[in-house]
Amino acid sequence: MRRTHRSVHRMLWPVLALVVAFAFALALILRAPPPA
Amino acid sequence: MSVGFRAVQWNRDKLVYDGILLAAISIFIAGFAAIHWQWHPPKNLPDAIDIWIRAFGTCAFLMLTAILAIGPLARLDRRFLPLLYNRRHFGVLTFLVAVTHFCFLLAWYLAQNNLPNLAAELTNWKDYAKFIDFPFKALGIAALLVLFVMAATSHDFWLLFLTPRIWKAIHMALYVAYGLVVMHVALGIMQGEYTVLIPLMLAGGLGTVATLHLVAGWREWRIDKGIAASDDGWIAVGSPRSIPDKGACIVAARAGERIAVFRDGQQIGALTNLCAHQNGPLGEGRIIDGCVTCPWHGYQYRLADGCAPPPFTEKLVTYRVRINRGIVEVDPRPLPPGTPAAIQCPSDVL
Repeated sequence: MRRTHRSVHRMLWPVLALVVAFAFALALILRAPPPA
Repeated sequence: MSVGFRAVQWNRDKLVYDGILLAAISIFIAGFAAIHWQWHPPKNLPDAIDIWIRAFGTCAFLMLTAILAIGPLARLDRRFLPLLYNRRHFGVLTFLVAVTHFCFLLAWYLAQNNLPNLAAELTNWKDYAKFIDFPFKALGIAALLVLFVMAATSHDFWLLFLTPRIWKAIHMALYVAYGLVVMHVALGIMQGEYTVLIPLMLAGGLGTVATLHLVAGWREWRIDKGIAASDDGWIAVGSPRSIPDKGACIVAARAGERIAVFRDGQQIGALTNLCAHQNGPLGEGRIIDGCVTCPWHGYQYRLADGCAPPPFTEKLVTYRVRINRGIVEVDPRPLPPGTPAAIQCPSDVL
């Protein structure tokens, strides 16, 4: 992989991972409670 | 390349790789469906189709997780390199499993004469402004489109046509596809099912991929920090003996590309660390049949001048090397591709 690719890679995937992790946590917390 | 090089086409290794993958997919899907059938026997045709939707969907997610793990695993331990060689086969199979998941979804709607409902779900524009009620199927379809583009451009023809740089940039979209799939499941089935298995699978997959990337990225960053150059701009590599025979040391100047310094007996030469084929890490390869051989797909280059042996025409950037007070040094300023630059190390220094 070229240096520029590695740099883009290092910037892109942590941001994506944090966004997805946050959205996943939100989906888990905000979902409706199970029916009684 | 060399005349001994096997071009990227069907061979025994690929057939074994694909055979193992197909067997694993079949066992997983059959096992998943069998267990689900026992656990929640379907009451009607849509319920039965639903089991296949879940089986293929779960399989596709796990395959995507595995594909994203292969890259960092291969950086951390060379024993994972064989998984990297034919990763594109893994990718194409993942797309086919995902498409099958989608086909079963369409079958589910058709079985209930309800296909217009799917269109209505996808075109209810107000729902796109919500979070929990976001049309999760749209996320799945977007991920499928990304996987389609990647599967369609997986052949070497596209690598050459687009150039490795653009091809690799397109294939980075796998990370976006993975995020879309995680949210497709999180906003879809996870909203209606309260089993702990679904959040565990998603968090486990995301956590595994992220952790592997962090660890591999840390190691790569330490190499990329580079070595400070001396006053005349040359970088120290080490003593000639510190370069393994038939192998290489990889160095980098600060803010420069990596350089692979190879030793073949008394001959020492420096080439770019990037293979002309797919920018694979040449420095992790070996010298075989007198040629530097890329560990990914076997492309070969002469150490003396970075040229592929005839009849092949690839040429690599080379770098000047010298031995200064018993230490091999390399000039990080690149020479034009194909420039002879290797030196003979005196036997008393070696």
